[in-house]
Amino acid sequence: MIKYTIKRLILALITTFIILSLTFILMKLLPFTMPIGSDNEKYAYFNTQVFQGFVLDFKEEQKNMGEYLWRYNEPGTKRWHYFYQTPIMTQYFSWLKNIFTEWNWGTSTVIERNTSAIIVIGSRMPVSISLNILSVIFSVPLGITLGIVAALNKNKPTDHIISTSVMIFISIPGFVLITFSLLVFAYNTHWLPTQWPQPTDPTKMKVLGYIIPVFALSFGSICGYCRYVRAELCEVMESEYLLLARTKGLTKRQAIIRHALRNAMVPIVPSILAEFIGILGGSMILEQLYGIPGIGKLFVTALNTKDYNVLFVDMALFTTIGLIAGVFLDLSYGLIDPRIRMGAKK
Amino acid sequence: MKKEIISETPIKEFDQSMFELTNGQDSRIHDEAFKTKPTTFARDALKRFAKNKSSVVGAVIIGLLLLGSFTLPYITGHDIKSPHADLALLTPKLFESGTGFWDGTIKRSGSAWDASVQNPDGTHGAPANVKISAVVPGSIHIDEVSYVDQYYAWAAGGYFRMTSDRYFTAEPTSYTDGIYYFSNFTKFTFTSADNLELNIEFGDTDDIDNSKLASSRVLLEYKDSGTTKKIPLNEWTTHYTEPFSKNLSEVIADNGATSVTDCKVYVEMKSIPNIQQYSYILIKSVQLKSEVEDEAQQELLGHISFDDANYMAGTPKNSDNRKNLTYWQSTATKNVWHAERRTVSFIYDKYADILGDQYDFIVGQSIFKQYIAKGWCEFTDFSDVSTFKVLDEKNCPVLEVYSGEFNEQYQVWQYKTHTIYYKYIGYKTMPKFIFGTTNHGYDLLTLAFSCLKTSLLVAIISSAACLAIGLVWGSISGYFGGTVDLVMERITDIINGVPWIVMMTLIILLLGNNVVTFAIALIMTGWIGTASRTRTQFYRFKGREYVLASRTLGASDARLIFRHILPNGLGTIVTGSVLMIPGCIFSEASISYLGLGLKGVDSFGVLLSTNQAFINSYPVLIIVPAIIISLLMISFNLFGNGLRDALNPTLKGGEQ
Repeated sequence: MIKYTIKRLILALITTFIILSLTFILMKLLPFTMPIGSDNEKYAYFNTQVFQGFVLDFKEEQKNMGEYLWRYNEPGTKRWHYFYQTPIMTQYFSWLKNIFTEWNWGTSTVIERNTSAIIVIGSRMPVSISLNILSVIFSVPLGITLGIVAALNKNKPTDHIISTSVMIFISIPGFVLITFSLLVFAYNTHWLPTQWPQPTDPTKMKVLGYIIPVFALSFGSICGYCRYVRAELCEVMESEYLLLARTKGLTKRQAIIRHALRNAMVPIVPSILAEFIGILGGSMILEQLYGIPGIGKLFVTALNTKDYNVLFVDMALFTTIGLIAGVFLDLSYGLIDPRIRMGAKK
Repeated sequence: MKKEIISETPIKEFDQSMFELTNGQDSRIHDEAFKTKPTTFARDALKRFAKNKSSVVGAVIIGLLLLGSFTLPYITGHDIKSPHADLALLTPKLFESGTGFWDGTIKRSGSAWDASVQNPDGTHGAPANVKISAVVPGSIHIDEVSYVDQYYAWAAGGYFRMTSDRYFTAEPTSYTDGIYYFSNFTKFTFTSADNLELNIEFGDTDDIDNSKLASSRVLLEYKDSGTTKKIPLNEWTTHYTEPFSKNLSEVIADNGATSVTDCKVYVEMKSIPNIQQYSYILIKSVQLKSEVEDEAQQELLGHISFDDANYMAGTPKNSDNRKNLTYWQSTATKNVWHAERRTVSFIYDKYADILGDQYDFIVGQSIFKQYIAKGWCEFTDFSDVSTFKVLDEKNCPVLEVYSGEFNEQYQVWQYKTHTIYYKYIGYKTMPKFIFGTTNHGYDLLTLAFSCLKTSLLVAIISSAACLAIGLVWGSISGYFGGTVDLVMERITDIINGVPWIVMMTLIILLLGNNVVTFAIALIMTGWIGTASRTRTQFYRFKGREYVLASRTLGASDARLIFRHILPNGLGTIVTGSVLMIPGCIFSEASISYLGLGLKGVDSFGVLLSTNQAFINSYPVLIIVPAIIISLLMISFNLFGNGLRDALNPTLKGGEQ
């Protein structure tokens, strides 16, 4: 098990590295975007790029290197700068060097010009994290409770109502739910704000602003947990050891709490843990639709404005979170339930 | 001993002839075929599926949506290829207008009340800027007046009303009530030589009791060498409608001043005792005109016109809860202090407005030639409009020709006509768009189902491709396990890990902005889901005893995979692939909804993302597609659940 764990962790690291390298190369294949701003600012930007090894600076036009990215005449002199893109593999190695030697992930070109991409991402994280924490706090107990209620009343009206609504709400796309709650509670009744409140808004408005996002984020996971818990608990309730427990003289309550629930929680606990890792991420659709300045919206903005450095760091974050959560999930299954042996041969 | 006992009981003799061979001598015995028909896997699956009522309902809904997406665009016959600006953003209409429900009419409130217009029901004050024929008769109600204070003004037309809103028990001695002044006219200096003219336009009123009219006056206030003077310009007690005009320069000259400062123009009203809210004046516009050439001076003068909303240009705000009206915060200096504005609510028929009778509608000569060729009308002499005659009243769009004008540039006649517009654009009767139209004038229902068709095709094709790729990959990785599995899993990890959006953007850049490209982008990562599902199934079954038995008996890997493991896992795998179809539609919709994926293509996500802009003004445009996609998702989930049970061979005959 320890060997397998170490193997998985090392592999996850290697995978992350390969994915990020591939993404870097793919993103360099996307068309180059000019930084916005005055010529001076552009010149400063290109100079940093040259310094970091992504762009080459020539005194005159180079016929064999294709089209130049930008040319600049230093004011008052006859000195010209022709900027060309360095070959992609050379850029790749410069990029690796920058990251490993000085933890430099590049600077933002559009969103917050000349700010380090890491800082840009960092400033967007708190909003996303606070929303995610709230939604986890809200959804996990509610989902599990609903699931337990449904399982204990299996095939009774309560169960039918819960299961049907879970099935319906799990099917409805997230953006439809957000749109409808916006329409009903924000545009028609004016109870809740139609957009994420500004920092200058009163506290009451800020609190109200949390309702739709937290609701939208928790709905999916409430339904997911409810369905999962119900399925697991129903299976456990029919097992023989529970019958034995009852025969031994335990009350139904004791049997459920001491035996059924504990066993049913075995596969559910890892997914709750994985959810806590997912706290770092942000929901793109929700943040874009509700105008929340989190990392999900940052991703969409970066993609639309072609701010590739920010986009890259954002994506690297999402990828790393996903991979770590995956490894963690896989490992915890094996740790919690010894019957499962991951990676067993044929 | 034994022998004795046997001999004691007499043994019955059996003769060989008592027996008969059932199959005859030396015949070969074989298994006989079953008399009853054996159930096939498919029939068995269908039987199990039919038992699950909710799945059947899901399947039926999917079937209907599929049928709709392939036939509806042809049945409704509405054009969804070329945009039609006139038909843009029509409201849902299923019944004739006036029925009050789903009839294409909209209740509008907060429109400016215009005293100079006569309503269809005889009263005055139809909403400004709306065709009378588009207002459903009897639906005009005058709202409560809305107050205008110093800081903002209600926009878009109408009259300002000043009322004697104080209750007096005795005759007021002075004009203390209902004072209105126009603040932009304050604090400016003018001389008797400026030739400054004041014009005030008043509105007509029809619902006022003449016996209860207050006395009103226009007052000029100014400072002349330190002393404030108030000069009444005009005073009246009757119903006043005449425009009021006065040369202020002459007025101050008459009062012995040559140059005055701090001017204000007031309109004042004196209440009648014991009568409240009965008299009012309607002011349409106030204007100061001067022949001074100083530009700064000109700037201070100006024109307040209450049917010209432009002067109130500022930041539009509509989050105000007050009476649910839209107002513009005035940034201009031209404010009206202490005034009221009357608004009306009415039911507006957009269909009649846009598609109904059009007067003074310009129709060219060539169009008349087409109508003549069809035999709808005759027009013997194009230079004489009286020769026009309608022959086919049912079809001819033009009913009357008012006047003609010869266009020298194109050498054709153009006519002002009375035309029925829906006939003019080719409809036989007034069109009904059940869910309204989009901003390009497409029928929403037709467009939604046409988009659904594209999205479904993309989804089905990419799911099929993903199933094919994923099945092979997952089988190999799951069956062989160990290092093979580990390596293959890492490869899928990497492909899965490269952000899909970047891949999609690259593919769209490389291969163009169309649905095929999107399908390829979906396949790029979509197969991983099928592969991992297949792998899990292989892990689940490959260790089972029956597989072990088969392996012990010498079965090959291929036989184990295809005969023993795959059929058992097929239910889950196929269900997963079926559920991928709505998944594909969902990802296309979400990505395009964010404005990242396809653009300008007939797909469901593009439809949703275009209509997202109208979420507040025309919510039906987003509600209908959202309901369709939710219905599709729910149905597919129900269908998938049933399919999983139906395709699970271990459940065979379980419930009988």
